[in-house]
Amino acid sequence: MDNRKAILKILNLTKSLEGLKVVDSVSIDIARGRITGLIGPNGAGKTTLFNLISGLLRPDKGEIWFEDKRIDTLPSWQIARAGIGRLFQDIRIFRKLSVLENILLADPNHPGELPLNLFFNYRNIARIEQKHLESAEYWIEFVGLEGKKDSPAGSLSFGQQKLLAIARLLAGGHKFLLLDEPTAGVNPAMIKSLLNLIQRIVKGGKTVLFIEHNMNVVLKIADWVYFLDEGRVTSFGRPEEVLGDTEVRKAYLGV
Amino acid sequence: MNYLFHILIMLCIYGILALSLNLLIGYSGLLSLAHAAFYGIGAYASTLLMVKLGLNFFPALILGIFISGSLALLIAYPSLRLKGDYFVLASLGFQLIVFSILYNWIGLTRGPYGIPGIPRPTIFGFEFNSITSYFILSAGIFSLVFVFIRHLCQSPFGRALKSLREDEIAARVMGKNVPLLKVWTFIIAGGLAAISGALYAGYVTYIDPTSFTLDESIFIITIVLVGGSGNLKGPLAGVLFMIILPEALRFIGLPDTIAPNVRQMIYGLLLILLMRYRPQGLAGEYRLE
Amino acid sequence: MLLQFLANGLVTGTVYSIVALGFALIYNTTKILHIAHGAVYVFSCYIFFTLYRILHLPLIFSLPLGIISGALLGIIMEILVYRPLFEKNASSGVAIVSSIGIYIFIVNLIALLFGNETKILSPGIEKTYEFAGVILTRIQIFEALAFIIVFALYIILLKLTNFGKAVRALADNPTLLSTLGVEISDLKIWIFALGSVFAGISSCLVALDVGMDPNVGMPALLVSAVAMIVGGVGVFESAVIGGFTIGIVQNLAVWQISARWQEGITFIILILFLLLRPQGLLGKRTRVEEK
Ligand SMILES: Nc1ncnc2c1ncn2[C@@H]1O[C@H](COP(=O)(O)OP(=O)(O)OP(=O)(O)O)[C@@H](O)[C@H]1O
Ligand SMILES: [Mg+2]
Repeated sequence: MDNRKAILKILNLTKSLEGLKVVDSVSIDIARGRITGLIGPNGAGKTTLFNLISGLLRPDKGEIWFEDKRIDTLPSWQIARAGIGRLFQDIRIFRKLSVLENILLADPNHPGELPLNLFFNYRNIARIEQKHLESAEYWIEFVGLEGKKDSPAGSLSFGQQKLLAIARLLAGGHKFLLLDEPTAGVNPAMIKSLLNLIQRIVKGGKTVLFIEHNMNVVLKIADWVYFLDEGRVTSFGRPEEVLGDTEVRKAYLGV
Repeated sequence: MNYLFHILIMLCIYGILALSLNLLIGYSGLLSLAHAAFYGIGAYASTLLMVKLGLNFFPALILGIFISGSLALLIAYPSLRLKGDYFVLASLGFQLIVFSILYNWIGLTRGPYGIPGIPRPTIFGFEFNSITSYFILSAGIFSLVFVFIRHLCQSPFGRALKSLREDEIAARVMGKNVPLLKVWTFIIAGGLAAISGALYAGYVTYIDPTSFTLDESIFIITIVLVGGSGNLKGPLAGVLFMIILPEALRFIGLPDTIAPNVRQMIYGLLLILLMRYRPQGLAGEYRLE
Repeated sequence: MLLQFLANGLVTGTVYSIVALGFALIYNTTKILHIAHGAVYVFSCYIFFTLYRILHLPLIFSLPLGIISGALLGIIMEILVYRPLFEKNASSGVAIVSSIGIYIFIVNLIALLFGNETKILSPGIEKTYEFAGVILTRIQIFEALAFIIVFALYIILLKLTNFGKAVRALADNPTLLSTLGVEISDLKIWIFALGSVFAGISSCLVALDVGMDPNVGMPALLVSAVAMIVGGVGVFESAVIGGFTIGIVQNLAVWQISARWQEGITFIILILFLLLRPQGLLGKRTRVEEK
């Protein structure tokens, strides 16, 4: 493990859904400023683990710590404000809102979302809105959706929707990013620039935990890899080690 | 001419009711059957403050807004815990409890006897006692409310509401404090409905509980759904349609004995047909969840 | 006195229970908050009234025909209104609003045809009987007997017949049902028919007792909804527990407080249950609350 302190610590996390232990005594440390991959067969519990981290599900047992703060008892919005952002496996952009509105919603802690501020702190809110507008323009351009600024997000192609979701996530300014299958459904050319992007933002100081089925991607960008099978962590290490592990190969790759 | 002004005043009163209920239905996705309760709370609160404490209309109106807005917390809380049908039932229960209190707490509200002799609003010695001046007052208040709501809906607050209406889970993970947003929507919707209540009381100068029944709640919902929710033009289209329709029916010479029932039957049929063929209403954006 | 009020409460509970059983049957299987159940309720007793008092048919024909007419109305609602919504995959809010629309339409149609005033079915003083200091009228006894028969038959139907099995499957696992080869849309027709029969029985009995006006449907519907919540959503028989609870509480309220607060108390019970025990007295712990 790196010398630097873990940004996220999961201790003995367990969650049952409909009688099935979907996450089973999972303990994980995520190194700050690194890219960690989470791999495992379909139904292994990867997305469920993300749901636990982002507060959409409550663990039955165990703890989750994010930088000295215990988060497994916090509501989702507080977890987001603490600095954890998430890209959903099923994208979840706001389809009826425009591309611009989607991105303007990225700030997890916008004071203008409190009605009292709108009337008693109007100047400040207007200033923040202006700043958000500028940053939204930047992110829209960044993912190449300039022409679509005012179109409803639902009218974009799947690839564009994914880019929008990524732009929305990045505009949120979180220091820790959970990416659920970021490359799924993205064409190979785009995958390359996406991976570049991930590496760039990590160089910029952010931490990434990503779920991935494409092993080439994992080998290329991950610093560390956890392997999850039937809710349990069965292997951890450098990507080459984990992917070389015979157990992992048997359980996952079928070889 | 008086007749015309009467219609215009009603448009203002119901316009505020529809725009405020739209915040709940169209922006938070909550089908509330309790809006007439807040309308009634506003009417009774401002009336009692005027009649019993001798307050002027305008301070009574402001206090009425606060009282109704605070009581809205009582229904906001269940809304956070109950989904869909269960919330509809809770709002229904709230409506009937409020009606029951207005009707039976005779010591406070005089129950079925109602409260007569409500003073007209006055400002700097000017009394709004002609129908023309009352229309001007109503139109002024309506415009203020309209501007307020438009500002709200275009603000980051309104945007956040739209986001949770579309995908509450994504909104939560993006840091939106969903419970607080919903609570605020209730407070604002309840407070605004109280304005209509005070305007109504000051206009007819007599109130009794029968103006604030479940049927009235259903009528306000019908307005919002016929016009459509989720934007501002939908509810306003609904108000125009629903307030003018009965007058139109009167013009085609429907006898007064059957007119109320025929009108109601048309409303019922409209709801059925709209839900089937045009769930977003005449000019709305949002389809009910 | 207590005993008398308890007895009244139980008798009130019988008619509440019957209409609530129908409402709960429809909600548990179709997940439609069937506000128009109140319209079926009004419709049945007005048809009964028409046949019995206007056309002077004997009670033995007019009563069942009134109930059957309610069943037909329920079927028509399902086919004309709910089924198209279901096929469009419409949301529950859409179904509720449509249901309110049906209710408004039918109740006002009835008011238009019959007027708003109260209609009496059986004029004159009812014969009364006394048991251990408790006085009951003949119609009250009739109501209690009707309840026992209806409830017993319903339980048999649910537990012992194929129809009952299909109904329970539809409530628990609709996808399984279609793989079993049961046509869901046919089954729903029977469910609406049966649910509406319950509304009709209850309304005709009450009408015989105290008469009717076009607005009796909404209170009956509200009581049904509260009874279902109090008893527990998902358990077909539990509406009876709710019905009796409300009947007794209301009559005790009449005794101890005042008849005026009956309705308010009923809805305070509703809200308390929704917040504190949303699964009701007998219900399975379902996901009533938001995740
Ligand atoms: N809400 C739920 N209720 C019941 N079971 C669930 C629920 N959500 C997920 N599961 C089950 O939990 C298991 C793990 O699901 P999860 O979505 O976490 O898998 P995953 O590792 O993300 O798979 P994939 O690679 O296909 O995305 C699966 O068996 C799934 O069926
Ligand atoms: Mg997954």
